[in-house]
Amino acid sequence: MKRFFYRSQQTAVGAVLLTVFLLMVMPESVRARLKSAIGGLFLPVIGISTTGQAALESLGQLGVTQPGPFPTNQAAGASPTVADLQLDNDRLAEENRLLREAVEWERRIPWETRLARVVGRDPFNWWRRIKINLGSNKDIRLNQPVISVRGELVGRISEVGPLTSWVLLVGDPNCRFSALLKESRSQGGIVSPRQYSSDPRVVELTYLPNDVELRPGQAVVTSGLGGGFPKEIPVGQVVDSWRSKDGLYTEARVKLHANLNQLETVRVLTQTHF
Amino acid sequence: MTGRINKTLGLLIGAYLLVFLQSHWQGPRLWLGFQPDLTPAILVCVGLTLGAGQVSTAAMLTGLWLDSLSANPLGLSVLPLFIAGWAVFSFRELILRDELVAQFYLGTAAGAAVPLLQVWLLQLVGANPLLGWQMGVWCLVNALLCGVAVPVFDRLAKLLDRWFSHPLHDPNRWPNENRQIVRGKH
Repeated sequence: MKRFFYRSQQTAVGAVLLTVFLLMVMPESVRARLKSAIGGLFLPVIGISTTGQAALESLGQLGVTQPGPFPTNQAAGASPTVADLQLDNDRLAEENRLLREAVEWERRIPWETRLARVVGRDPFNWWRRIKINLGSNKDIRLNQPVISVRGELVGRISEVGPLTSWVLLVGDPNCRFSALLKESRSQGGIVSPRQYSSDPRVVELTYLPNDVELRPGQAVVTSGLGGGFPKEIPVGQVVDSWRSKDGLYTEARVKLHANLNQLETVRVLTQTHF
Repeated sequence: MTGRINKTLGLLIGAYLLVFLQSHWQGPRLWLGFQPDLTPAILVCVGLTLGAGQVSTAAMLTGLWLDSLSANPLGLSVLPLFIAGWAVFSFRELILRDELVAQFYLGTAAGAAVPLLQVWLLQLVGANPLLGWQMGVWCLVNALLCGVAVPVFDRLAKLLDRWFSHPLHDPNRWPNENRQIVRGKH
């Protein structure tokens, strides 16, 4: 009996080592396909979770009469006071502003966009990636830029599957790109943060010339250099700045406009009009 | 035998759901600012209570599932998880494994060691993960969460075991209506 347990332990260790060894020597293409197949095991749970969420939402709608995204006091049946009307007016003005902004952005960029839903995230914190529900079946291609609904830079497509794709978010070590300060037009590069920050929206803008005048709140946009992203996509705002250790260039912390932890829907830039 | 199959199935379903939640449930990311990884806690629980086969199966499947949903090279997480589970399994006779404090310490140690091993392996294979003080702080908080998770998973496993398994046969249990010997005068 003791011998059997001993042998079973050997088998257990051997199985793990063999698996790791086989995965290491496997060709990259086979490993990618295997990875995709194993990831596909989660599709049923994703489906159940999505259906459950939709069912709960529809149940909620059956139980409660929804007057719309911004319910007004008139709809609730209460007699409106001046203060209530002012409140409703403010809400509608804000909604109007957001819609105008979205439409304005759509008009301004020379790209076609496609809305996508965020369906997953990389479980490890040292990667910043999200999974969207569009894949090669919807003509999604590698390195297409991804922006938020309001048009702020989010990242780029890094992997395309048949039904889903992975988006590399701004701040990931593998998502570096050229950006510029909107006022002074000084160029630098956006990299992942190297200093501690409790705010996950903070990235770094590096390789700025030393004579640049940096102030907190200055807007940072994409420069269009390198061809990765189109020009003038809003990235974020300068928080603070310092001279690099060797004194050759200036660096700055930039707070991203898009809250990457709260993305639910994004836009993929699919085609230019040029 | 059935009990062992039940436990293995329960363990794998639990690990599968945990990996799914870590990838698809945004709640912790919004509250804490990062996504906790509680898979080391599962391996510690398995090492404390189940056999060698379950430790290796759990490490392999959990590692592969995690890597399939991440940018890690496939199979990278298997070895760190296995080392954590196997270390606990090998020394479990020397540990007061039912003690809450012991479970907390084991979970914390595994929760800190597994991400460090993963990052070390990532750097060995030439990957470029996001590192820095921020990651260190997240790693520390994650280790504490793993420490808390081990007793929780252990209690949960015992509860499920009580619900879905037959009680162990104990011949010395008294009073035992079926086995009681009624002695007369003669």
